[in-house]
Amino acid sequence: MLNRIFGLETEYGLLIHEDRPDHSPTWFAHKIRDHLFQVQRRGVLDLHHRGHDEPPGNGGFLTNAGRIYLDMGHLEYASPECHSLMDVVASDRAGDLLLQRTIEALGFCDQVSLIKNNIDHETDATFGSHENYLVPRRFPFSRSGMAPLVTFLVTRQIFTGSGRVGSAPLQDAWIQMDRLLVPRSTFGTQPISELPFQISQRADYIVNDFFEWVQQNRAIVNTRDEPLADPNQYRRIHLLLGDSNMAEYATALKLGTTGLVLQLIEEGHAPQELEIDEPVEALQEISQDQERRWLVRLQSHKMMSAVDIQERFLDCAVRHYSGQDEETDWVLAQWASVLHDLRGDYQKLVGRVDWASKLWLLNCFREAEHVEWTDPMLKSLDLEYHNLNPAKGLYHGLLEEGRVPRVTTDRLIDLAMDTAPKNTRAYGRSELVRYLLSERPASVADQLPAADGLFPSYVINWSIFQVRGRAPFPMPDPFKTYLKDVRTHLDSVIV
Amino acid sequence: MTHSMMPERREGPVDPMPKSPSPLDEGGGPRRPDTGSPEKDSLMKRMRKVDPKQAERYKQRTGE
Repeated sequence: MLNRIFGLETEYGLLIHEDRPDHSPTWFAHKIRDHLFQVQRRGVLDLHHRGHDEPPGNGGFLTNAGRIYLDMGHLEYASPECHSLMDVVASDRAGDLLLQRTIEALGFCDQVSLIKNNIDHETDATFGSHENYLVPRRFPFSRSGMAPLVTFLVTRQIFTGSGRVGSAPLQDAWIQMDRLLVPRSTFGTQPISELPFQISQRADYIVNDFFEWVQQNRAIVNTRDEPLADPNQYRRIHLLLGDSNMAEYATALKLGTTGLVLQLIEEGHAPQELEIDEPVEALQEISQDQERRWLVRLQSHKMMSAVDIQERFLDCAVRHYSGQDEETDWVLAQWASVLHDLRGDYQKLVGRVDWASKLWLLNCFREAEHVEWTDPMLKSLDLEYHNLNPAKGLYHGLLEEGRVPRVTTDRLIDLAMDTAPKNTRAYGRSELVRYLLSERPASVADQLPAADGLFPSYVINWSIFQVRGRAPFPMPDPFKTYLKDVRTHLDSVIV
Repeated sequence: MTHSMMPERREGPVDPMPKSPSPLDEGGGPRRPDTGSPEKDSLMKRMRKVDPKQAERYKQRTGE
């Protein structure tokens, strides 16, 4: 899509199938990472401390220019920078497949499953799916400027949600009142009772409208200013309220519609007077609405449905961006189609919208087996929807049965496992990773800085890299490939 | 019910990306699903094979 760089970060869960396992999920995560980098040589491990919780060897960049690393014990994959929806969907699925195939290569399939979801029903842990959108620095990054974005994000879950059985307990949230952080419970929010099913995995865990933290006090819009690019030109809109999607169609629609709404805001075309009265509460109320009427109260005191709100955004986007490019037209057409179908029987959305697919499967099972929503089996089926093992996962079962539309192909995903998009700076970084793989030994132990404190033989970050003995190589513009410059720079490196 | 596939990608990782297969050509969704029970198909078999205790076993840490 025009003038947009997309990226997705996905944290995976690891489900161990044994009653008394010999190893923890973290042990398996280490094995999988080590096999990827040291046996398959899919990329190069970091040799430097990236942060307090990312010591050398914790993860690294791949030949597709994305990253795989451990974060709070979870395997995490960050896609390369993508300039098209097709690329970001293929790159996202490439991360799934890199990890799943490694489990298969290690012979772990009977012991452990890779789960692409965002919650643990029993521990109430949550882990993320983060979206990244590059916008110009002039983007109106203020409460009033982003009010339309908040309204859009609160209501988009009707087609982006992955659904879950049950609900999370009231989160320990703090909100900022002037200069004080005050517990949300101060304002009398009552704990919610257990629900049969809700359309979003993450809604229960979002407790603020704007905030900069990511591990607590999760907000609808994360305000951390970390553009990973020239800060004078760009800002990175970092969203952590969304669910990991299994359906390619839902991934594409989520990123595509959000990209268009950001464009509406940038260019002053966003619909007005749609500010939601209490967006955090509305986010949870929409997710939990068992009748799926999805009504929200606006600051104007008017009640409006999420579908009607989304149609206002769609109308603006059609008016201003119809014909902009092929991907935009695809998004506009599918956005309209999904909103139309959301007014009817949810079963029309099976295959395209993850919560609808999951709900349909669960209802089929409940009817066939005569089980109630309180049966713990339903939580296990909920997890199984997200199992990336194609022989087991329920999403993969739907795919196998031909109930799921594709927006990419297996061949493209295979390509994206190894190669970077050719039209972003990921391409230049991929060149660097290939060069280092051709020059360096496989084991991180052989590459770590010498005891005399020498600079490690390389340092790679998203917007800069340095190979020992040469000047740093900045890559501040994600729209540039830097390919020729990277090759020239590497050709001049003394090794 | 038909859905047009996403447009062909012009800047592919190696070669231009092929056109996504048409759902009508390959029989892939999004057909309206059979609203009855999938009793006789593989989906119900998959669901019945699921370990009822696996949600208890999951034991994940909070991430980000």
